[in-house]
Amino acid sequence: MTLTTLYRYGTLIAFFLLCLGFALASPGVFASQANVVNLLQQVATLAIVATAATMVMTIGEFDLSVGFVASLSAVICFVLFAGGYDMTLAIPLALLGGMVSGTLNGVMVSRFGVPSFVATLAVGTIVSGLAFGLSGGASLFQNVPDAFKALGRGAILGVPVLALWFIAVMAGTALVLARTEFGRRVQAIGGNVVAARLAGLPVMRDVIVTFAIAGGLSALAGLLLAARLGSVQHTMGEPLLLPAYAAVFIGTTMSPTGAPSVGGTLLGVLITGVLVNGMTIMGVEPFVQRMMTGVIILVAVLLRHFGRRDP
Amino acid sequence: MPRPDPVLALEGLGKSFGATHALRDVSLTLHSGEAHGLVGHNGAGKSTLIKIVAGVHQPDIGTISVQGVRVDINAPVDAYNAGIRVIHQDAPLVGDFDTVDNCYLGRPYPRRWGMVDKSAMRAAVAAIAKEIAPDLPIDRAVALLNTSQRQFVRLVRALLDNGRILVLDEPTAALSAEESQRFFDVLEKVRARGTAIVLVTHRLDEIAAVCSRATVLVDGAVSGRFEGSDLTAGALVSAMGGSESPEAKTPDRTPTSTVLELGQIKAGGLAAPTSLSLQSGEIVALYGLVGSGRSDLLNAIWGSEKLASGTMTIEGTPYRPRSPIDAVRRGVSYVPSDRHRTGLFENKSLLFNATLPLLRRFRMADWLPVPNRQRERKAFVDAARSVGLVYHSADQLARTLSGGNQQKLIFSRWAHRRSKVMLLDEPTEGVDIVAKAALRKIIRDMAKDGNGVLVSTSDRDEALALGDRILVFRLGTIVADIPRSQVTPTALSTAAQSMEIVAA
Repeated sequence: MTLTTLYRYGTLIAFFLLCLGFALASPGVFASQANVVNLLQQVATLAIVATAATMVMTIGEFDLSVGFVASLSAVICFVLFAGGYDMTLAIPLALLGGMVSGTLNGVMVSRFGVPSFVATLAVGTIVSGLAFGLSGGASLFQNVPDAFKALGRGAILGVPVLALWFIAVMAGTALVLARTEFGRRVQAIGGNVVAARLAGLPVMRDVIVTFAIAGGLSALAGLLLAARLGSVQHTMGEPLLLPAYAAVFIGTTMSPTGAPSVGGTLLGVLITGVLVNGMTIMGVEPFVQRMMTGVIILVAVLLRHFGRRDP
Repeated sequence: MPRPDPVLALEGLGKSFGATHALRDVSLTLHSGEAHGLVGHNGAGKSTLIKIVAGVHQPDIGTISVQGVRVDINAPVDAYNAGIRVIHQDAPLVGDFDTVDNCYLGRPYPRRWGMVDKSAMRAAVAAIAKEIAPDLPIDRAVALLNTSQRQFVRLVRALLDNGRILVLDEPTAALSAEESQRFFDVLEKVRARGTAIVLVTHRLDEIAAVCSRATVLVDGAVSGRFEGSDLTAGALVSAMGGSESPEAKTPDRTPTSTVLELGQIKAGGLAAPTSLSLQSGEIVALYGLVGSGRSDLLNAIWGSEKLASGTMTIEGTPYRPRSPIDAVRRGVSYVPSDRHRTGLFENKSLLFNATLPLLRRFRMADWLPVPNRQRERKAFVDAARSVGLVYHSADQLARTLSGGNQQKLIFSRWAHRRSKVMLLDEPTEGVDIVAKAALRKIIRDMAKDGNGVLVSTSDRDEALALGDRILVFRLGTIVADIPRSQVTPTALSTAAQSMEIVAA
């Protein structure tokens, strides 16, 4: 194996070594069917939020509102349940809330030129305030239909429903980015926005659409999380933000040019997920788990850095 | 009278990268107060030679002497200590710093009471700046300076402390004719102070005008040395292996239908209402300095600059683009200037770059916005052939191509459709002389296919070589319209006079 291969596929190799290590260290536990199902359920919502982040990173922007938007959609949905409305109204309105937030991000960034870091932080803050207000700061769990809970629980043919969700979302996004005209344009915008504009591409519209899709995906993640837990807090989506970007950055190490990709993000999500899951099984203290996750991100990105110095 | 030891003597330098001989037995001597030109095609070894002198690469064989003493240059700091100052093309500057801070970047700061002594720094920089560029605002952040002022900042920085040997890599690539002239006037002052200068440039007339000696590299070896009256642009071209005979002109053309008509339009930097009529098969050159309004005209037609007033028609039907999307739809194609910044997607494949603007044409079905990859690939191969693109795979990244091929790649975007109007902004800037000729042939072929072509250029030779007509721009207005019948060798001088008006 040459050094270049190591740099190129180092992250993938590291993932398999990690799995192998945990499997050997905890015979019959880490590699058991029950744990794999558990693991897939644990990473599902993160994977969907990370896919949203990947799309926005592909156009060269940041979306810091993903976690807040996930909270908002869950709150909208459960407030409507509590008010006696059913799923056919609650779910579309919750998703719409996410897409409207995303559209607002996109308009701020592409129409008014606000740096995405600032625009999405501001919109995210507004959204989190709104979620706080709608929920009244309390935990929501009234009148939740069983059909809704089923969206995030159980399994079909042995595969957890949540896993099916995130696999569908990621496969769909990967296909859109790789194969469609919209996907090409999105990649062009991320590659060189000035050139994209001068090549006659509808840059402003595509940027807004990208943010809107990211908002919609974040909202979906919020709903699935709510379905799994059966209750909603107005801050429940916030912890998703940093791990989502960690996964995207780990994923960029898979590309020779350091570009984000859905496949890379999936790997990033699995690495962070396996790490936390494995260490929990091993009885590693939660604070050590966090520090280890940070170390893994650094190692992956450093590997990338040294790999790129080769001509 | 025996000449003193040369300031810089390179003897028998050789350098290989793998199987490629980048340099073979190259020798060069440089005396103080001398300007020495170094020319060659892209890949001839100029950059390697510069990098060896700068300490970036080490030669496999050969010696470097500075003022008669042999030196080992193993790192940039050794070159610096030997008094060698290299100004790389587009050398980065810190935008938020003023000239004074940029000049001292990476160098020992003068100190006073243990603190950095900015007033001493300023005085040292001001002393140099006063001599070579008195109107350079040295206290202003470099980000606020224009391209030519930044080039002076680099020059001041190079001369700040005992630089005896100045190596300039394409110093005027981003400057207009007028700015280049000013730059060389300053360089002449620098040379007169006793600094030795090595000048690398694609613009051969600059070498002939500025340098007293020149060395030509072909395939890593010296193919000619010229000095005094032997040093002419023509002699350099033939030593580079090019043809000395003047390039073929655009042939005569029978008038055809009008494709584009501009009526009294105003937009961006156009100072006066501008009218223009472009026929199918016609090439109109828009000649003028950077900022003279020619680019604003192109941008208005392309829809990237808002039309303030006036009318446009394409083939007789009104045309008012709100954005380049409308322009593409109406059969207008555009090749932007500055391919790195505004043209290419360097980290994407050739295929990606070539088919992007017209991707709709490859849809699997009208309702399904997914390109059919076989058809797309075939269109790329055809387009690449029609522009003579040299490549080994449609999937290689655009940044791996040479400058001339990158430009051909951008041309190929529009090669697989019939455009009505082609807009070309500085289409051959920064590519070597062979690629230039190839690109001009492509442009003529595009016109022959029935396109109306507008070529915006700051290069007089380009305007003369390509234009059926030349419109001369100055300060946002057209000051001359020289028709085809007068673009003859004798009319060249007439044109040249209008250029002087422009440069004044």
